[in-house]
Amino acid sequence: MDALRATALSKQYRWSGGTNQALKSVSLTVPKGSILGLIGRNGAGKTTFLRIASTTLLPSGGKMDIFGHDVVQETNLVRERIAVIPQESRPFYWMNPRELIYYFLTLRGHTREDAHTRAEQALSELGLLEYADTLVSRLSGGLRRRAMVAMVMASDAEMLFLDEPTTGLDPVARRSVWEAIRKAAHAQRTIFLTTHYLDEAEALSTRIAILERGTLLAEGSREEIAQKVQHPYRVVVSGGFTQGELEGYGEPTWLEDRWMLFTGEKDAREISRMALERGARLSVAPVSLEDIFLQIVGKDISRDEEGDDEGA
Amino acid sequence: MKERKLASVLSIIAANGFLPLRRQPLFLINTLTSPFSFLFLIFILGGPDLIGYGISGGLVLTILSIGTSLQGDMTHYKADLKFQEMVVASPVKAGTYVTGMALSEFVFSIPGMCVFILLSVFYAHYIFLGGLIVLATLILLWIFASALGFTLATYLADMRETFMIAPIISIFLTVVPPVYYPISRLPPVVRPLAYLSPTTWAANLVQGAMGISSTPLTLGQGLLDGGVLLLSAAILFLVAWKKSQWRER
Repeated sequence: MDALRATALSKQYRWSGGTNQALKSVSLTVPKGSILGLIGRNGAGKTTFLRIASTTLLPSGGKMDIFGHDVVQETNLVRERIAVIPQESRPFYWMNPRELIYYFLTLRGHTREDAHTRAEQALSELGLLEYADTLVSRLSGGLRRRAMVAMVMASDAEMLFLDEPTTGLDPVARRSVWEAIRKAAHAQRTIFLTTHYLDEAEALSTRIAILERGTLLAEGSREEIAQKVQHPYRVVVSGGFTQGELEGYGEPTWLEDRWMLFTGEKDAREISRMALERGARLSVAPVSLEDIFLQIVGKDISRDEEGDDEGA
Repeated sequence: MKERKLASVLSIIAANGFLPLRRQPLFLINTLTSPFSFLFLIFILGGPDLIGYGISGGLVLTILSIGTSLQGDMTHYKADLKFQEMVVASPVKAGTYVTGMALSEFVFSIPGMCVFILLSVFYAHYIFLGGLIVLATLILLWIFASALGFTLATYLADMRETFMIAPIISIFLTVVPPVYYPISRLPPVVRPLAYLSPTTWAANLVQGAMGISSTPLTLGQGLLDGGVLLLSAAILFLVAWKKSQWRER
């Protein structure tokens, strides 16, 4: 069974000054037990999609099911099985991480004993035991974010919606969150992750979806998406070639002291051979997710869409 | 299911009522400031004759402030912390959450309630069943104020809007209506307008039950006051149920 199935989902925000079509007929499925990484620039519609899926926002059109239940008509059945960390969410300053997790679990209906056991496990998994009794007001931004992640990880929700969960975390803290996400997936929980860290999406996701201006441009495993791009190889050459020569194989980009271009396998082999003959420095590698994103979207992920993601 | 709801409500009260108080006891004093300011002014300006009105007004204002605090806290939890979104996307129902939040706000008002109830015992001349009438009135007011606070909070996008709306509501529910003074002080032409506010009916009941009103509380008047207050609470409850934006559109 699919954990999530969206069919022709759309969302239009209306206000007195006009409208914004945040989602345009998006169809997407997320298999149970998988980690889907939804990537896109700021304003692409990632948060809007996640909020509709997590039943906090109504769609304008289309249909979405979570574990076979309609998110609009069968909201209560959906809510029994999900948990969400909203973007930019923050913990209560007067609690410590242990209390935060315990509160969230008892609020959701866990028994006190179960909440206690789960809280200790989540604290341990996210490396928070050392800070378990420290008030949130005294924790760093990264630790606060980890405490938020621990709250939902500790719940019994079968599907977790994580909206940019590692924003503001240092590399070590990010790894501990990644590890917790992987563990959750191993336990057959489904993870829906939005991120604009492409390395994060690449490291965690079993499936990736690319959203741009409310339109789903690609969806599938990392390999499936790589096959969709016209140029699956990234070639970087330093010296030995003129721009005109390289333009015969693709669109070269000047990177301060070397040329970079995306090409097909045959052209990559030919450039390699010529580089060897000319003694030029060269590197050839399959495209990274960042390269794939650049080819599919046509823009770097760090370039903001006009407007903000909350409105899209 | 009922046990689960009860556990959720108790959890909310502990986390949002008792725990913040344990960490910051000054919250207890904070809730006393407004009603005592009015009481002080009334005592200074009106003398001992009006102190009964100051006490009954203090009881009403203390309960109404639960709604104002609820509105502020829920807006903060929604707009700043995004916690409400985590609750919406969970098995917790809106009614359970609001009940828990409204009761946790009540925790903050306990000192004020205790002080004003004690003062009323000394200064008021309770009629038969007066205590029960005051209790029922305050419960209806609590429902009214909580439903109003919750509904507004679901529409407000930022805490600054709360800071703007709270004083306006306070003026129309507490200052202008005869909560802190007898309605007879209002010019007869304006009196009908005062009855547009549910707090006027509540104040009538409390003042009558405490025996401080110049006109004794008759059964008919009591039923009318109570009926209007009940209707107001029911309407606000319905508005909260049907029109609040628990899930955004």
